[in-house]
Amino acid sequence: MRRIFIALPIFLLIYIVQEAVVNQFRLPGGGFSIFLIFTVVWAILSPPEIAAFIGFIAGLMMDLSASSNGPIGQWTLLMIATCYSVAYFGAGNASVMENPLGFTLFVGSALFFTELAYVLTGALLGVASGGFGQVILTTIGISIWNLVITPIVLPIFTHLHSLIFDSRSAI
Amino acid sequence: MRTSGGGRSRLLLITLIVTALFLITLDLRGVGVLNGARAGVQTILSPFQRAGAFVFSPVKSFFSDITHLGRTHNQIESLRLDNAKLTSQLLNRKNADAELTQLKNILNLAGTAGFKVLNARVISQGSSQSFAQSITIDAGTNAGIKKNMTVLSEFGLAGVVKDVYFNTALITLATDPSFKIGVRVAGSQQIGILSGRGNTSAGLELIDNLTNVKIGDVLLSRGSVANRPFVPGVPVGYVTAVDNSAGAIAQSATVHLYTSFSTLGVVAVVLASPGVNPGDALVPTKPQPTPLPTITVFVTPSPSPTK
Repeated sequence: MRRIFIALPIFLLIYIVQEAVVNQFRLPGGGFSIFLIFTVVWAILSPPEIAAFIGFIAGLMMDLSASSNGPIGQWTLLMIATCYSVAYFGAGNASVMENPLGFTLFVGSALFFTELAYVLTGALLGVASGGFGQVILTTIGISIWNLVITPIVLPIFTHLHSLIFDSRSAI
Repeated sequence: MRTSGGGRSRLLLITLIVTALFLITLDLRGVGVLNGARAGVQTILSPFQRAGAFVFSPVKSFFSDITHLGRTHNQIESLRLDNAKLTSQLLNRKNADAELTQLKNILNLAGTAGFKVLNARVISQGSSQSFAQSITIDAGTNAGIKKNMTVLSEFGLAGVVKDVYFNTALITLATDPSFKIGVRVAGSQQIGILSGRGNTSAGLELIDNLTNVKIGDVLLSRGSVANRPFVPGVPVGYVTAVDNSAGAIAQSATVHLYTSFSTLGVVAVVLASPGVNPGDALVPTKPQPTPLPTITVFVTPSPSPTK
């Protein structure tokens, strides 16, 4: 619990950066979410139960964003699943934890599947996400952005994590 | 991969998932508390968004302009020299001038139709992570904005008010996949339904299968009961391609929307309409071709050949 309360102000800060700065730009290909990247990176570096709780908080914050299209709870559900999964599969995996390229690809794939899951659950919940082609283009665009942005912010996020918890080395 | 799960960890995971499902159910059932939470968060975020919009407005269009680099290369080359002289002044004035132009055009459009409008600045472009196309403006219930009001840009329809908070409002853009509007073709008065596709084009489905639509036809909004969500006569776009596939129940077409959604800086929310349909009065005038001067050169042969 202590870990989560310490991390909460950082999550709030990144959330404000996402809403007030990143969302100012309409980027080609759909753009990226620094908040999503941060949450997934933080989750990979945390134990699965903490990661699930982090996913719950982050997902709820994303749901409460005015620009969120789906019902409140959709991002919460997806982020619990994503954060728990990445923490579960990432922990102890040398190709992820000791290799920045592997880590980036792992984050990129996690976000790609999260976006796909968002579209699928959105379709079940009656959220309009656009035509098939447009969804594919946007998902690919977002994934490319994530793969570009993740290596840039990864040292900062992992360093921040190790600085606070002093538990794992920065990647 | 972790091997130990633990009953406590499993219980926590199940609790969190059940809570999320509970939230989804509550939201889909329209429980007001959750909407209130979203409104509260938006009210807290709006000062940050305003600050962000103020700081980043000069460079806001940079990324969207990158996609047009090939087409504007020659233009950029010719403007480079001028830019060198004016850069310092331009950085401060460019944004204000662009907004002023948009504002003037919006007022012209609204004035022609007699709409009572409220101008607002775009303070956030929204996130594409949710596959939604939306913007946030810096006016809300405090300025008299209500849900389902028409939003105009300098070129025509921009979208509709989706949610209103105290000092901000969320606008669903006409490009949003969930956006639908009844339209009519200027001149022929055929009616149809226009749907957003998530990009700059939109799809048109004609209601009457006996009529035809042509490339270049201008589409105007049909208007709604009590002018909400849509006031009539607002230019929406023009037809760029017609689908004449055999066996289709009704004719469909691709429409290019007039509004440039990547450069929206200022919009106008229609607060009231005069109650009179402006008809085709708002149809944008086609650009007039500039006549090219013809120069005739008369050559008179010299009397003696040159050596």
